[in-house]
Amino acid sequence: MEDKEISPEESLDLIQTMIGKARKRYTDNSFFFLLWGWICLVASLAHFYLGTYTDFEYPHIGWSMTIVGGIISAIKGARQDKTTVVRNYADKMYGWLWFSLGMAMFTIIFNGEIINWQVVPFILLLAGIGTVVSGAMMNFKPLQFGAIAFWVLSIIAFRQPENYQMLLMGLGVAVGYLLPGYMMKHNLKSHGV
Amino acid sequence: MAFKALDPLLHSQLRLAVMSLLISVESADFVYIKEQTGATAGNLSVQLDKLSTAGYIDVNKHFEGKKPKTTCKVTQAGLDAFESYVKSIQQYLKP
Repeated sequence: MEDKEISPEESLDLIQTMIGKARKRYTDNSFFFLLWGWICLVASLAHFYLGTYTDFEYPHIGWSMTIVGGIISAIKGARQDKTTVVRNYADKMYGWLWFSLGMAMFTIIFNGEIINWQVVPFILLLAGIGTVVSGAMMNFKPLQFGAIAFWVLSIIAFRQPENYQMLLMGLGVAVGYLLPGYMMKHNLKSHGV
Repeated sequence: MAFKALDPLLHSQLRLAVMSLLISVESADFVYIKEQTGATAGNLSVQLDKLSTAGYIDVNKHFEGKKPKTTCKVTQAGLDAFESYVKSIQQYLKP
């Protein structure tokens, strides 16, 4: 492309072409869904097993993996940010959405004792918000179906004891994070979109 | 109705391409703009300077490790100029 004068028609064509080129090329975020999906699945199943079938004093021990998950996510996010050649508003919104949800989830868990550890239904509700908005932003339906699963499971979880809530949590992350995460990864690999 | 004069700074192929690209994103790297416009580095540099001097874009030059990096971002003045340029073009194209 050169620095030459153009006609109004050419101008309009050029604007359209360039806007089309800048249109969001989706960042592969499957890593985060898979990372958190596996952490939550293992932690919730371990919690259920230890709490139901053993006398182990700390059935929630598996949840300490979330600290590692937080650190890995922060490092990976910072690296992605550094290597990116174009910053989109969608990526920015996406980052803030999950950061806010993370803060909300942390607040609920941190104060869990006050609400008698009835935290799972709330976490499921928040996870549903994250997946439905992410799905809408990427126009990726499996994440939105995952959100519906999170919300239905949340309604059920409100009526279950803590240990069984963990099974619902495990099911929720399998359907809401892991399944869409693997589908996203596969799509990006085979279509590059 | 009299025709509005087209902003000479935007009515040029490469500068218009850069502005059209930048209004759609939050910020973009020099390498990305070069790739998308197909311009040469030298020419792109000159045109970015012109847009920056006019206050249409913010050019941020910094180092990332040992690598120099140039990031461009459209300013409010740039957005306004782009909007009024598109309006003027529409006037020209009206039957």
